[in-house]
Amino acid sequence: MIDFFIEGFGMAMRIDTFVVMALGLFCGMLVGALPGFTTLMAMAILLPISFFLEPIVGIPFLLGIYKGGMFGGSIPAILVSMPGTGAAVATSRDGYALTQKGKSRKALDMALFASVFGDTASDIFTILMIFPIALLVMQFGPPELFAVLLMSLIIIAATSGSNPIKALIMMLLGLWLASIGTDPLGGVERFTFGIFELKSGIPLLPMLIGVFAIPEVAKVVMENKKVRQLATVMGERLTFREFGASFRTVCRSTVIGTSIGIIPGLGQVVAAMMGYSAAKNASPTPEKFGEGELEGVAAAEAANNAVNGPTMVPLLTLGIPGDNVTAILLGAFVAQGLRPGPQLFEEQGAVVFAILIAMVFANLMFLAIGYLSIPIFSRLVTIKVSVLIPLVIMFAFAGTYVFRSDSTDLLMLVVFGVFGILAKAAKFDVMPLVMGFILGPPMEYAFGQTVAMTNGDMAGFFLGERWGATAVLMASPFIGYLLWKRMQRVPTD
Amino acid sequence: MKKSFWKTPETLFSLTCLFLGGLGFLFLGSLVAEPKVLFGRSLTAITPTLFPSIVLTFMFLLCAVQLVLNFSAKTQGDGASGLAGWRRGAVFFGIMTVYALAMVPIGFIISSAITIAVLSLFIGNRNIVQIIAVALLGPVLLYLAATRLLAVSLPELNGIELAISRMF
Repeated sequence: MIDFFIEGFGMAMRIDTFVVMALGLFCGMLVGALPGFTTLMAMAILLPISFFLEPIVGIPFLLGIYKGGMFGGSIPAILVSMPGTGAAVATSRDGYALTQKGKSRKALDMALFASVFGDTASDIFTILMIFPIALLVMQFGPPELFAVLLMSLIIIAATSGSNPIKALIMMLLGLWLASIGTDPLGGVERFTFGIFELKSGIPLLPMLIGVFAIPEVAKVVMENKKVRQLATVMGERLTFREFGASFRTVCRSTVIGTSIGIIPGLGQVVAAMMGYSAAKNASPTPEKFGEGELEGVAAAEAANNAVNGPTMVPLLTLGIPGDNVTAILLGAFVAQGLRPGPQLFEEQGAVVFAILIAMVFANLMFLAIGYLSIPIFSRLVTIKVSVLIPLVIMFAFAGTYVFRSDSTDLLMLVVFGVFGILAKAAKFDVMPLVMGFILGPPMEYAFGQTVAMTNGDMAGFFLGERWGATAVLMASPFIGYLLWKRMQRVPTD
Repeated sequence: MKKSFWKTPETLFSLTCLFLGGLGFLFLGSLVAEPKVLFGRSLTAITPTLFPSIVLTFMFLLCAVQLVLNFSAKTQGDGASGLAGWRRGAVFFGIMTVYALAMVPIGFIISSAITIAVLSLFIGNRNIVQIIAVALLGPVLLYLAATRLLAVSLPELNGIELAISRMF
């Protein structure tokens, strides 16, 4: 492990990695700062760029967008009470109240420092924990892998919204879409209707851009809002003493965010809300929360950014994306020829560490870029959507085309875009669909291997020596139920 | 205003999924090719229809449960976008479909410039100078960045490609 770490450290120390990562941070903050535009949309649209860069350059570029976008989302949340990301909803409670008091600069600084602290601490935790977890995962056989994949899907369904049945329907739809093309075990065609383009299955990229980015743009078009609000950065900068006074809260939220990040499906919104609630409960003056309390901003921002690092643990060790952003990252890994899973650590351990180390350096750059550019990004809050939306659409189409140079992908992009907006209207979350689509083939493969191991006996999962798989399979519905009940208690607005 | 059970987006979406699941399951035999056989034995431990049949069955059942729940909850429609919003959405997706179909035949730059101009007008931008500037500069800059910096191809007419390659 130490060898991989040292080698990875050397690999991460590349000037092009830092330059591209800084560009990613800048793009992320830029998009996050635009009300109505999300980090997810930016990542989906810019994902194809990463395919043409080396893994150690392209993946940190996406991570930069992710980190920058998370902070960028807090800028409109604080300045105009319009969260750029779902995770910034909790930030807007106290952030906007501080703006109304003429202390927006302090709120933005606190958001930046808390974000960087939460993110860095969770990244270090990830670096320390990921290899022992990978060693454990290396002991897994097909039954255990199938059981863990199934458990992840159940957890994602349980935590993706208030209605787990809708989430399960979307997940099954994703599993079905994943079965279109060539069967991973026998190599026979399924659901292709004789269409040549479907023989290799539905490509991931048009689906990701279609269901994540296009509906966001379509929503702005359909609602026909012309957002131009006055946003100014006012007041003095945050003092060291003020940050020190919130340090306990920042640490508490970091622990909450890190714990949540490791569980697939929960994500930043839950972390931010739980961090905020915990800070309010622990405060001697809870009545001040919502009225412009700096600790409220610190709690939400540290918690939502602390999720970033640990979401990489299930992604890299098992190939399970914890949320929609890591689903996009999985696409980048796969396109780069790096198949996340236990083998990745055996074959490309140094590259994994290089990416994780780059994440820590990204935080330091994030601090510098964020500190200097807050006034610039604050101006973006007032930009016209009629200029941005056509450009976003052009990026989405160009990005989709360049991956395979296949015009069919453009039509798939439109189809998935329509699907995404219809699903949104019907209040069906698309995240389980994407998870099902991504995890479907490895699940079917693990299922087939398990049955083959026991000469066609479906009870292969319940053999005595496979007690781990049995236990996970038995426990999954209960874990899913408990998490669903827990989610019902987390305030979301 | 309370909408009828059948007209809510939730119901329509669940019904579509139910329909797809049911049809997929019914015609599974003809939608999935026969497994490869060697000396009378299948080459794989599970048939290619097994996994999809499990998925489609559960999808059908869960959609049915969701429909029952919708019915008993007397769900109200979303109503967030309204009919005007859906009309705008239909036009928006119409523009995107034309863009998708036109990009290869007429090239990236021309199709993007037209799409950007049309979308800008549709969204409400009335500043002609701004529209022309964005519609021309955006596609050209992206084309140059993609083809020169990232060395990837975007569809383009031979004449335009030749002219650009002479300039840059």
